Amino acid sequence: MQVTWEDQQNINTFSRFNNRFHELQDDIKFAKEKCDNLEDAGNELILSDEEMVRFQIGEVFAHMPREDVETKIEEMKEATFKSLEKLQQEKESIVSQMAELKKVLYAKFKDSINLEED
Amino acid sequence: MSSSSPSGTGDDLSERRGIPAAKFIQDVETYLSQSSLDSNSALAFHQERLQQYKVVEMKLLAQQRDLQAKIPDIEKCLEVVGTLEARKGTGEALLADFEVSEGIYSRACIEDTDSVCLWLGANVMLEYTCEEATALLKNNLENAKASLEVLVADLQFLRDQVTVTQVTIARIYNYDVQQRRVKQVAPTAITAADS
Repeated sequence: MQVTWEDQQNINTFSRFNNRFHELQDDIKFAKEKCDNLEDAGNELILSDEEMVRFQIGEVFAHMPREDVETKIEEMKEATFKSLEKLQQEKESIVSQMAELKKVLYAKFKDSINLEED
Repeated sequence: MSSSSPSGTGDDLSERRGIPAAKFIQDVETYLSQSSLDSNSALAFHQERLQQYKVVEMKLLAQQRDLQAKIPDIEKCLEVVGTLEARKGTGEALLADFEVSEGIYSRACIEDTDSVCLWLGANVMLEYTCEEATALLKNNLENAKASLEVLVADLQFLRDQVTVTQVTIARIYNYDVQQRRVKQVAPTAITAADS
């Protein structure tokens, strides 16, 4: 089984993609949870009657008027949603690049290489 | 092969921040004869290298986790200082509930103020104006993010070397197996020719 420098580089790149893919999966999970939490917070806010809402900034809960809190939550939802989209796009691009590399590597090595998740 | 090329791929570096690069072997047979090693010693050498890489990887991963925890902390501080600054002009006091101990909260009334105190670590807390505090925190955030980037690049380099070493170990092992098979066939071929 001859392995050229190019093959080795392909294997290295595949490994990098795989690592990045797992990191992205965790990041996406985290971002989705954050989106859901913000959604729930927004709904609670609509249902509640209070004028002063305690909004968490850093480690403290600051008393803020309701409209300010509503605006803030909307802004945070926008930002989180955008970053979630970006992460999902990156994940899709990595998945397709990994599929390409798999084709190349399986063509060269057939059974001698295993590129599947264990 | 050990010259560092400015191409930015880092593939030609012979070492990076104290981590030695794993040399790629073009041909196993040539490598074994040049280094006058037999398969077992070569395998042992590469496996030891792999262990060393794993130790360094653990260290770098721990550093990465620390930095990844630090960055949200700094961002939270920036947010608080930003909120205080925004309130400066209005003259309103900010009512905040903060945690005194687990499950116990207390209310604080924060008057309009120009200065904040920042905890610098090592039991040191300094008072700054809002602008200075924002500048300092932004600087810390930039440094933390830059360190994280360098760390991630180091980890990628390290993982590449681990992959190269694993492939090398597999190739030496396969070569060894192949040699043993050839040796087993050869004596029987000679005896068949003799008889």
